Amino acid sequence: MARFNLNEALKQKAAQHTLKANVNQDELALDDVSRVKVLSPGRKVFKRFMRNRLAIFGSVLLISMFVLAFFGPLFYPYGQKEVFYKYDDRTVNYGMAKENTAYNYFVSDEGVDIELLVGTAAGSNIKSMIAAGQDGKLIASETRYYAIDKVEEDIYTLSTVETEEICLFGEGSIFVGNYGTITEAMEYSIAPIAGLEDAVSTHRGGDSFVYDGVTYELVTVNRRTIGVYMQLSGIRYSGAPMDAEFEALARSAAADNGSFRYNGEEYGVETSKTISRVFRLSDKKVGRVYSRLSVDTYDASVEVPESLRVAAMLAAGEGGTFEADGKTWSIAKEDGILVVRDSTGAESFEFSEVSIRRYSGEDSISLELKKALKVKIEEMTEANVRTDVLTHVIPVQNEEGQYDYNEDGTLKMAEADLDIDQQQTGEYVIRAEQRIYVIDRFGSPSRAHILGTDGDGFDVFARLMYGGRVSLMVGFVVVFLEIILGVIMGGLAGYYGGWVDMVIMRLVDIFYCLPSMPIMIILGAMMDAMRMDTYIRLIIMMAALGIMGWAGVARMVRGQILSLREQEFMLAAEASGLKVRHRILHHLIPNVMPQLIVIATMGMGGVILLESTLSYLGLGVKHPLATWGTMINSVSSATAMSQYPYIWIPVGLLICLTVIAFNFVGDGLRDAYDPKANR
Amino acid sequence: MLKYITKRLIYSAIILVFVMFLIYVLMYNMPSGYIETKARELASRPGATKSYTEWLSDLNAQYGMDKGVVEGYFVWVGNAVRGNWGDSWVWTIPVTEEFHNTVWFSFILGLISFIFEIIIAIPLGIVAARKQYSFADYFTTVFAMVSISLPTFFLATVLKYVFSVKLGWFDISGMQGRYYGTLSPFGKFLDVAHHFVLPSITLIVLSIGGLMRYTRTNMLEVLNSDYIRTARAKGVPEKTVINHHAFRNTMIPLITTLGGSLPGLFSGALITETLFAIRGIGFASYNSMVQADIPFTMFYLAFISILTLLGNLISDLLYGVVDPRVRLS
Repeated sequence: MARFNLNEALKQKAAQHTLKANVNQDELALDDVSRVKVLSPGRKVFKRFMRNRLAIFGSVLLISMFVLAFFGPLFYPYGQKEVFYKYDDRTVNYGMAKENTAYNYFVSDEGVDIELLVGTAAGSNIKSMIAAGQDGKLIASETRYYAIDKVEEDIYTLSTVETEEICLFGEGSIFVGNYGTITEAMEYSIAPIAGLEDAVSTHRGGDSFVYDGVTYELVTVNRRTIGVYMQLSGIRYSGAPMDAEFEALARSAAADNGSFRYNGEEYGVETSKTISRVFRLSDKKVGRVYSRLSVDTYDASVEVPESLRVAAMLAAGEGGTFEADGKTWSIAKEDGILVVRDSTGAESFEFSEVSIRRYSGEDSISLELKKALKVKIEEMTEANVRTDVLTHVIPVQNEEGQYDYNEDGTLKMAEADLDIDQQQTGEYVIRAEQRIYVIDRFGSPSRAHILGTDGDGFDVFARLMYGGRVSLMVGFVVVFLEIILGVIMGGLAGYYGGWVDMVIMRLVDIFYCLPSMPIMIILGAMMDAMRMDTYIRLIIMMAALGIMGWAGVARMVRGQILSLREQEFMLAAEASGLKVRHRILHHLIPNVMPQLIVIATMGMGGVILLESTLSYLGLGVKHPLATWGTMINSVSSATAMSQYPYIWIPVGLLICLTVIAFNFVGDGLRDAYDPKANR
Repeated sequence: MLKYITKRLIYSAIILVFVMFLIYVLMYNMPSGYIETKARELASRPGATKSYTEWLSDLNAQYGMDKGVVEGYFVWVGNAVRGNWGDSWVWTIPVTEEFHNTVWFSFILGLISFIFEIIIAIPLGIVAARKQYSFADYFTTVFAMVSISLPTFFLATVLKYVFSVKLGWFDISGMQGRYYGTLSPFGKFLDVAHHFVLPSITLIVLSIGGLMRYTRTNMLEVLNSDYIRTARAKGVPEKTVINHHAFRNTMIPLITTLGGSLPGLFSGALITETLFAIRGIGFASYNSMVQADIPFTMFYLAFISILTLLGNLISDLLYGVVDPRVRLS
């Protein structure tokens, strides 16, 4: 037989192949070269791997997972930290109705100087006037007198007045003034009495004296001052006496501490205890207008300037017309409500005891609605109910939460149910369904968000992909670390043996015994407390996992190398004088490679499992950064878990599938490398 | 044999010393600010019996934190050997007392799942091995793989969702029902048992896979060995081959691994107990770890390490006991 040449044989085979293609009936002989198929070891492994259905399933799963995690985000429009918003119909606090109780003031004349204390006390003075049913009141300050007058119901003016004491009347003692013993002069607190000074100086040694038919009492205040009191009985005029009609008027006014008019002049009565003083009032200057009424305009877009408001309030008493802002207005009481009309007679605004505003304080509710609400609230008060519903037209909001306008520019209106609810404080809150812009929390799966949105308005599917990236990356890095450390330590131990082996293997024993999960939990809690940045946490976590996981790899590598070391090819390597490093890296490690690949593949699944568990407990990667674990963690509470299964079920399944796929592939690889082992 | 045991014990003790040292170093290097703030936080909680300064001084006395690492380590080991583990910060009772309160719940939970695991996994593994490449085999393989790959929290959540939320058969978490206080002693027992169902299922499903694969692998190995072929060649009925020749030999590695996992019954299921709020040692230690309760955490870590070493020891010894071919020396 001719010498066999591989080249020729191959040529022959190729020729035969073509022949076979042409004539498909050639039988193969027993010594035919093409019968022996020579496959490289790699091909052999690959072929065996391909025969394993579960392993193929795992590979396909893994590849799709990688594509999803690493390429998916490129084609997906949303980012992992993109917050989504939506328009939602919610019952919001639409408005608020409140009966005005506080008297607010409006300055009518800047030039009139009103003391601060008088101004602040005016409100309570007005309330006491209302309680006593008075129309006017004289108020004394340290230096002068002020008058509060009722203009119209709920409208009062505060003005400065000049006073002239007319008379005193009543029964009892009244402080006249202090007599200075050194100055020998009186300081009067009421109108001066002629000749009293001389009378006091003559009687200053005694307790009392009679002067001009009136008994005066002296009380020594200190060495320089004597207090003078008048024992008054009946009426005593400071100046010229008035007639009986005046007296009667004064006495009746004194009964309610008010004011009266006599002979076209205004008088005020100030009563303290039993004595009343009557003043003639003159030169009244209105400084402020106090009112508890609020203004409701007919056209919500028009604002009422303060000057107009003041002028209207001042004119309210008489009714009729008044001038303000260069225009003529008229004010009249219609059905108990003060209504202001402009010169054409069109209603402009009206005063109201109840202020109804939007909940934000804005005055944009239409008068019509306000009136309807007022009626409803009155009904509620009568019926003594705290909640009721009013159906009324209110401006419509469109999809974007903006108001819609008709073609002519007016607001589009539609009927809506307004819930009126009285609060404990007495105010009425009006609620209505409104369209508002909110974060799309826990949105159900829809066309825009395949898996819905999570509690922060993030798109779940986007986070699923980005989370996959982190989870897979963690798996890779940790396993890589484990392998590097394990190969180095195991290689050293296995190759050198002796005390090196001894030390390293004890180290392996120690690390084997170290409880890794508890340590990771402690580490996580510590990093939590130190508020570490989430990326640094990620790195520390990966390093810790790698350091705690190398022992298994080292043990396996050592075992393999121990057996390989004794084989002939190593003897040959040593004999050919190769360096130690070369022998380990180029001759031993490649022979351990199959086992390493299997261990790495299986380990990847384990690491992903561990990482997701840690993240689930909130001790691994932190919130804004997505991993599969944190995503489930965000819906781990009992309520969220039961209500939003569409968030955690896909994520959990993905974790399972990935880990299963790694395990299948690892299993498949092991079987392919070593067909004798158990399959 | 005795000599071997002694040797192994000493060896384990040495490993334990080093493991404990690593753990101690970990604790020793915790940022002091962290410990202090956590101690302050826990001391201000209602029910705390000591002020945080007392705790910190206790900590120094207990762990020799004010001394060097090595010296401090011996202070701690000295205390620990005498059974002085200090007072827990979170549970505000001595660490050993909290351990006694919790460990039996963990043990019961572990034991239940251990028994079920054996009952389910071993027969399935054997069936799978006997009919290799059959449907049963594939099913078992896939099931085992799924069981290994399931994250605890996901399985627990699914179980809660299905059985607690949807079906309402069980409480979502906790160990006692709402009316526990009004029940008779037997009723109380039933109530607790009812609450143990879901955690047990979780543990069983998660642990079955590993044992099943292990059984199958070993059974396959045995079935491929020469003496089985011989037995078959002799004409021994298949039943006898499987039950007497193969099964007994399969049991050797199984017993050693299962024996080795016996101490683990006390170690508690960290995640499962936490998720189902079963007041076992896993739950207690998880809460301690998260809240930086150093005394309890240190105790737990040491305890777990001892259990692991004990497990290794038992499994090695069992090997010699079960397999007469192995001579321990």
